[in-house]
Amino acid sequence: MEFSELENLENEGIETLPSEERRKFLRFGMAVTGVFLGGSVLSLTSARNARGGLGPIPEAGKFPYKPHYSMVIKQNRCIDCERCKEACVKTNKVPSYGYRTTILELEKDLGNKGKERVFMPVLCNHCNRPPCVRVCPTTATYKDKKNGIVMMDKKRCIGCKTCMAACPYNARYFDEEVRAVDKCNFCFDTRLEKGETKTACAAACPAGVRIFGDLTDYDSELYALVHAPEKVVWVLRPETGAMPNVFYMND
Amino acid sequence: MNRSKNSLYRSGFMLVLAVVVLVLSGQAFGSDDEDGGTIMFTKPVMAVVFEHKTHIENGLECDSCHSELFEMETGVAESKDDFTMKSLYAGKYCGACHDGDMAFASNTRCTVCHIGVKGYNKAMGKETSGASGGH
Ligand code: SF4
Ligand code: SF4
Ligand code: SF4
Repeated sequence: MEFSELENLENEGIETLPSEERRKFLRFGMAVTGVFLGGSVLSLTSARNARGGLGPIPEAGKFPYKPHYSMVIKQNRCIDCERCKEACVKTNKVPSYGYRTTILELEKDLGNKGKERVFMPVLCNHCNRPPCVRVCPTTATYKDKKNGIVMMDKKRCIGCKTCMAACPYNARYFDEEVRAVDKCNFCFDTRLEKGETKTACAAACPAGVRIFGDLTDYDSELYALVHAPEKVVWVLRPETGAMPNVFYMND
Repeated sequence: MNRSKNSLYRSGFMLVLAVVVLVLSGQAFGSDDEDGGTIMFTKPVMAVVFEHKTHIENGLECDSCHSELFEMETGVAESKDDFTMKSLYAGKYCGACHDGDMAFASNTRCTVCHIGVKGYNKAMGKETSGASGGH
């Protein structure tokens, strides 16, 4: 994903989507949409467009999954220390050339006021409508029916890399050793299944950027953040209709 | 701020000023070591950049920070256990000025100083390990 690409997206302004409407959409199943414009302008696309990309909206309160794992990224807090990447590599045996999460960077020259940097963590968005799953010819990549995590069954992967091309977030890489595509699975096998409540990257972040949790848990920090009425929440590349489960906000 | 008078540093500063003036008037400039140059902190996290130049241009003098807040010697602050964001918030080190009053507060505008691993690699002339490959 390129910043130039993101910056070309149309900015519709947040005024077109009242916060109540936004919250309603969130309750309906993660339909808040928005674009990231070079880190300086954040916006939500209009409710009309959001609906257009949605298809039938699930009934209020009825989440497709339980738990419904999701992550909030407090983007402006990220300082690119890359401890998340290190933790992920260690936890999930990611090879040196691979990645399950990355940090994008944008540097803006503010003239004599120096430089402003924008760092944006990106990982698999565990999309509600995952293009990678749709294109996989062998069902090696699938969406877990219980928790909504987009998983890889490596034994079934034939390495055709169609999923890599289909992912709007460039969240996949080919693991040469395993001869299969690999990607973030919210540390399901390495941590969640073992009773941990945080992913490795969330646990390692010194700046509190990554908040992992269950959207159906109304007492969770994640739920509160995503539903805070005064907050602008945005997702990456909403126009693809993938309906991501990684939400971005600033502090 | 409490300033300990140190005439040696002062004369040093005058020299630096002269150099800065030279630079501003477009003269070649061999080394910026005279003003301490750029300091790159790699602890407690990667990586934080400090420009002596910017601070001097903002009217600070050497003894504004040296050596009560920071030793002259590179690496001393980093070796201390309390060189953390928490102690900055409590007014130590950078936090003595970056308190939201004299300069922007330490818990705001993080990426003005935090340049991250990518910024560090760039400054060191290294390729940033690319995770943005693919298609
Ligand atoms: S650990 Fe946190 S602050 Fe550091 S790069 Fe990752 S998300 Fe950003
Ligand atoms: S982010 Fe990419 S890899 Fe993850 S579920 Fe969506 S399409 Fe698939
Ligand atoms: S959730 Fe786990 S697998 Fe995914 S990026 Fe974070 S550490 Fe890596």
